[in-house]
Amino acid sequence: MNVPIKTNTALSENRRLSDQMYITLLVASVAIGLFLIASVFVPNFFQLQNMLNLVTNNWAVISLGVGVTFLLVSGNFDLSVGGIVALSGVLSVWFAQSIGSSNALSSGLGLPYWVALLGALAGAIAIGGLNALFVVKFRIPSIIVTLGTMMVARGIAQVITQGSQRNTNLPDEFGVLGSLKVFGTSMQLPVVFMGLLLLAAIFIERKMVFGRITYWVGANPVAARLSGIDNAKHITYLYLFSAAIAGVVGILLSSEYQSGYSNRGLLMEFDALVIALLGGIAIAGGFGSVIGMFFGAIILAVVTSAATGLTLSPDWQYILKALAVFLAIVAQTWALARRNK
Amino acid sequence: MTTQQQPPVLSIEGIIKDYPGVRAVNDVSFSVESSTVHCLIGENGAGKSTLIKMITGALLPSQGNMKINGAPYAPTSTQNARENGVATLFQELHVVDELSVLENLTLGMEQSRFGFLIKSDLEERVIQTLASIEPSINPAARVSSLSVAQKQIIEIARAASSGASVIIMDEPTASLSEREVERLFTVIRKLRSQGVTVIYISHKLDEIIALGDTVTVLRDGKHIVTKPLSEVSGRPELIDMMIGRCVFESYTPRNNLSEEVILSAKGLSNNMLKNVSFEIKKGEIVGFYGLVGAGKTEIARALFGADEVAGSIVFKGEKVGGSPKEAIAAGIALVPEERRTQGLFTNLTIRENIPVMNLRRMSNNGIFRADAELSAATHYIDQLRIATSSIEKHTEKLSGGNQQKVVLAKCLFSKASLLLLDEPTRGVDVGAKTEIYDIIRNLADEGNSVAVFSSELEEVLGICDRIFLLYTGSLESEIINGPDVDINDILNIVTGGNRGVTA
Ligand SMILES: Nc1ncnc2c1ncn2[C@@H]1O[C@H](COP(=O)(O)OP(=O)(O)OP(=O)(O)O)[C@@H](O)[C@H]1O
Ligand SMILES: [Mg+2]
Repeated sequence: MNVPIKTNTALSENRRLSDQMYITLLVASVAIGLFLIASVFVPNFFQLQNMLNLVTNNWAVISLGVGVTFLLVSGNFDLSVGGIVALSGVLSVWFAQSIGSSNALSSGLGLPYWVALLGALAGAIAIGGLNALFVVKFRIPSIIVTLGTMMVARGIAQVITQGSQRNTNLPDEFGVLGSLKVFGTSMQLPVVFMGLLLLAAIFIERKMVFGRITYWVGANPVAARLSGIDNAKHITYLYLFSAAIAGVVGILLSSEYQSGYSNRGLLMEFDALVIALLGGIAIAGGFGSVIGMFFGAIILAVVTSAATGLTLSPDWQYILKALAVFLAIVAQTWALARRNK
Repeated sequence: MTTQQQPPVLSIEGIIKDYPGVRAVNDVSFSVESSTVHCLIGENGAGKSTLIKMITGALLPSQGNMKINGAPYAPTSTQNARENGVATLFQELHVVDELSVLENLTLGMEQSRFGFLIKSDLEERVIQTLASIEPSINPAARVSSLSVAQKQIIEIARAASSGASVIIMDEPTASLSEREVERLFTVIRKLRSQGVTVIYISHKLDEIIALGDTVTVLRDGKHIVTKPLSEVSGRPELIDMMIGRCVFESYTPRNNLSEEVILSAKGLSNNMLKNVSFEIKKGEIVGFYGLVGAGKTEIARALFGADEVAGSIVFKGEKVGGSPKEAIAAGIALVPEERRTQGLFTNLTIRENIPVMNLRRMSNNGIFRADAELSAATHYIDQLRIATSSIEKHTEKLSGGNQQKVVLAKCLFSKASLLLLDEPTRGVDVGAKTEIYDIIRNLADEGNSVAVFSSELEEVLGICDRIFLLYTGSLESEIINGPDVDINDILNIVTGGNRGVTA
């Protein structure tokens, strides 16, 4: 019946699963389903260690996915994160390398370690600021802007490393962060970073005004502005956060490998986008969740590692990824349309 | 007479449409006679739009049959319906901003042979129809440069010139001013005399009485009655059939108005406005009335800081007009002209739509207060009688009038002391209208000020204490509302009548 419903209780009794929950559950079940299927076909797949590896091996992409997800929900792309990973890693190495070696690639700025890290982070955030400037101020489509800044970031990294890598003359403490074991377990700091980041992101998304504003801005920017939301400021924050996350990821990776490599993080921006799309985030904005993105990452990880386990040549990975994304998006569109019929 | 033997042009037999949790249309049967204007009325959410979407193939009925001229009719798409001679004007605008007026008018009607467009008299016909409704629209203009009302007119012209034998119009006049409505009526009458049948949906009952031959009433998805309008005694009977009770609306002068000026605007000018100055007092309801294009929306947006404007706007002693954010912080809220594109987050739920204009009340050190949100949403669903099966319903799935109520709820929740309401009751049924008017009066009695920007004279005269009359961007005159306002004088002024011969 379509008579207005009067009481509180009636309204809440009538609450249906939201589309958001529905899609997230769908994605989660696909992830688990795929894992079970892979367990049947791939030897030794169904092991606790393997399950953990699916997550921990992908800490970098999942972390980047957080920033990318928020931006997608707000209706904007961020393709610059892979480039920023390379840039901040290379910067942290270059800043920390001691001065005065005869080899140009061994000679850095000799800054104290912590200053080097902060400098690298600042470099990353500067790229985020550039993104925000062009998207918000000059109103250039974000996909174009961030494609450009991705190349700018990687280009700077390339110049600093002369197209190769820097890995000598580093202070002893340089390698610590990336391989630090936390709480006396085998858990590495980067994984802990990802975990905390996910928790914080979910909290912000579900519980904080900031998260809600992201949905409003993405769902209808005109209505958001006319409702008193400062879209420009919000999107600027999102780009800065996303760049900062990418900066930290770059620093941690360069510490883990004890090198600054201009090709590090290559195509990571696409993987981050792919897991977000797999996770049910709408490219048009206003819809999606960090948890969905997380399960999207699991789907991708299961597909690629199962392929490796089945000794499919890595050459097939692109096609597999493409297929997974394509199927996922078709399935989600279909599911939502069916549900809303 | 031969017409007696003719089967009805359209007959609807036991149509049902179910949505999850809602039976939007419940076993409706009636027939529509040829060459008549058949009106469809009912409260918001009664199922009018849903019913006509099934007639035009945009939705499939869950059950039931339809016949056209006695032959079974089960359209699968709007294209398919048009091939059967049924054209529609939907409640939501469907014009393509990037195309020209002419291209929009012929969109989907182009004749093609072997994939090439062929020239026909189509262009000629649509240009003529457009000119007879609104001569001021240039067929070569880009649609994006037109106002909402003008876009609406394009849609009307498109349907009217499609050569269909049945044309369905869902609230075509919701954003038109009296003059355009008159012109539209002339076109509709002309179509009728040419043998076209028009199914006409509107909440403006005077239009129904002026235009209709037959009326069908829906209530809660059910068919209440179909009868000739000649047998209807008048407005009260229509209202009674629609909502089962009677409502009145007439202005009662409000006394003890304060003299304290809360907002003063001086010399507002931009590409639309010409040196507009006025004051709004505390606790007052002021109206801005004028034809489409007179500058009502522009004034509202300027006061709210949504558009740039020269001149000064002072609210409670402080300059405003910089940005909507600033306006809201100062205590000004706006219900924008177009609910779907400017007011609502259509892919979010009712609950998620309401709190946006008052984040201070919704949060506690940045933490969102879900409980406050829930109770606010429940409160407004109740107060504004938003017809919905759930607080979690996406606003795109609400009926037009109920969407409008959600936008209003958003704005009321802002607790602003000056409300700018641009066409606040567009698409809202008579019963709900009076309730909204009561809410506006109560707000004003509590000391808030309300500015109503409306192209419905009845609305302005019904609630406003003072009315500003606008003509092509300038403020022509100010009248105090009361029993002896001269309506002819008002109509004369808003059509440029007091401009002398130069106008
Ligand atoms: N896609 C949908 N999913 C679920 N419910 C829907 C959907 N579309 C419409 N409804 C419900 O069907 C009912 C009838 O809606 P409809 O749009 O036909 O009303 P209406 O008579 O045109 O009202 P109005 O005068 O406000 O335009 C409403 O309760 C609405 O919430
Ligand atoms: Mg409707």
